Amino acid sequence: MKHKGHGTTEESHINVIPIGDVDVLAVSVVAANLQSLMGLNAVSLPLHPDPDYAYLPLRSQYAAGAIIKELESINKGARFNLGIVQGDLCTPILKFVFGESQLGGKAAVISLYRLRDKDSSRMYLRAAKIGLHETGHLLGIGHCRARDCLMTFVSSVEKLDSLPPRFCSACKYEISRSIKHLFG
Amino acid sequence: MNFSTRIMVVDDEEGICEALQAWFVRDGYQVQTALSAVEALKAAENSPADIYLVDIKMPGMDGIEFLSRLKELQPNSIVVMMTAHGTVQTAVEAMKRGATDYFCKPFDPDELSLFMERLLANKALREENSALKELLSERYEGFADVFIAHSDSMRAIVAKIEEVAPSSAPILITGETGVGKDMVAKAIHFRSERFCGPFLAVNCGSLSESLLESELFGHERGAFTGAIKARRGRLEMADNGTLFLDEVGEISSKMQVSLLRALEEKSFLRLGGSQPISSDFRLISATHRDLPSLIKENQFRDDFYYRINVITIDVPPLRERLEDIPVLADHFLKRICQETGKSLEGFTQRALNLLAAYNWPGNIRELRNVVERAVVIAKGRMIGAEELTFLNPRSDAGPIGAKTLRELEIDQIKAALESCNRNIVKASRRLGIDRSTLMRKMKRYQLDR
Repeated sequence: MKHKGHGTTEESHINVIPIGDVDVLAVSVVAANLQSLMGLNAVSLPLHPDPDYAYLPLRSQYAAGAIIKELESINKGARFNLGIVQGDLCTPILKFVFGESQLGGKAAVISLYRLRDKDSSRMYLRAAKIGLHETGHLLGIGHCRARDCLMTFVSSVEKLDSLPPRFCSACKYEISRSIKHLFG
Repeated sequence: MNFSTRIMVVDDEEGICEALQAWFVRDGYQVQTALSAVEALKAAENSPADIYLVDIKMPGMDGIEFLSRLKELQPNSIVVMMTAHGTVQTAVEAMKRGATDYFCKPFDPDELSLFMERLLANKALREENSALKELLSERYEGFADVFIAHSDSMRAIVAKIEEVAPSSAPILITGETGVGKDMVAKAIHFRSERFCGPFLAVNCGSLSESLLESELFGHERGAFTGAIKARRGRLEMADNGTLFLDEVGEISSKMQVSLLRALEEKSFLRLGGSQPISSDFRLISATHRDLPSLIKENQFRDDFYYRINVITIDVPPLRERLEDIPVLADHFLKRICQETGKSLEGFTQRALNLLAAYNWPGNIRELRNVVERAVVIAKGRMIGAEELTFLNPRSDAGPIGAKTLRELEIDQIKAALESCNRNIVKASRRLGIDRSTLMRKMKRYQLDR
């Protein structure tokens, strides 16, 4: 049985957690796509406070690693925690990231900052693709060489827009195998 | 994927190490990290990486010193220096000391991706380069067989090769079967300015006239039955390189005319073609036959002979340079022991006497086969006369014997055929000559199969 909306159950696979002032609809779209494309039981949690602890004044950005550490400590019944923030994310080596995750770990985070568009539905679709990509990493899937696979590395919204919302057959197989292994 | 590429990140900031590790692991690389240059050096000694990403500013040993130490350990390693803005000058200094590249932290995700692609292309190029070097050294290894020599005659040939290699003049190499005419041709090619171009060899004695014509000049589609697609000939493929015509004495008069025209006009037509094709190649020919005699008998064209014979190199047979036999035998023994894993120290004096007394109709090729056979059957630490009993010494009738060279050759062929149950392939191996050469000799001496 799949669950949608606020609240957690023992059966939820992944919590989608809005952190700070985030477009609520984007959170719902990401959760819906995780359910429909990956078959994960995704649950949206209530809003979490602003990630001030991760703010880097010198870069005017948020440290993705710090937010991931915070998400790792959240225990709300699910195996994975996917955070969504409005602010711009970065890592010590990269000027920005759309999202960041622990390969085969528990927590990931995505940012809506660079996904914004005049057409809000386009932004939702972009957020869904990044959410699926980072969740793929949580399931232990690395970057894919297939250009039309969601697990390929993308560094611009133009590339992201040209990417169809699907996984290649090899990644799809790996994802289902990993989910089966984790959740039976 | 990049599963086989190992990366080591060396940075005193744990966050940088973790971020880079996470990035590269997602891309499928094998990654290890080190928080200091000392730790990295230890790790590099135990398990070397393909690519090192090294921070320049580190407490204790800095990135520049690490680079110098690592280059002593692994001169061919790819080292990329990482720096924050403002220390680019130091990174440039590192490049002068052997770093492959540098980048400034932090960088655009796209830049990192392109940067890694460039590094991998660089790595592939280095690997290809070293593979080619290995290939070249393997090719040169064969030359040693011919050029390991104490005799004055072979030393003169080596000197002549050095002298004539840089020119583009056609060369005719003469000498008996098995003396290494093909190796002399290769040595000339690899010492010439054309060494980067192709070296193409054609054995003119092993092909029928029509096949040889097609092989040399190529053909257009439909030129003859079976020509289902156009094919480039050896003359065309040898452009900027060397064309080696082995057994040139076997070429028919008609083919000699065609080749002469191609050599004079420096262009030719493919069979069935109408478009002249130009090709710039150096011609080296070889034969074991006495071409001036063939000219006298009208079996070889004199104009073609003078065209291909601007420079002559005559390689002497092994029996005329007895002083080379011990060194050559020793060289083959070492090589074969290395290949087979056997451990033999050398030849007894009696074995060397036997080798010196033998006639060697198959020359160096036969000597190699004889040593190989002796190694296989050897029981002790030395190869003795008992391992060479299969050699029929020529001393049965004096140094050269009462028999002529022709008679001796007939005897050897007959003996080999008998001992191999008239199996041509086995007999040719036994004699140390090609199957086609044996067939030709049998035909010439009217020996039954």
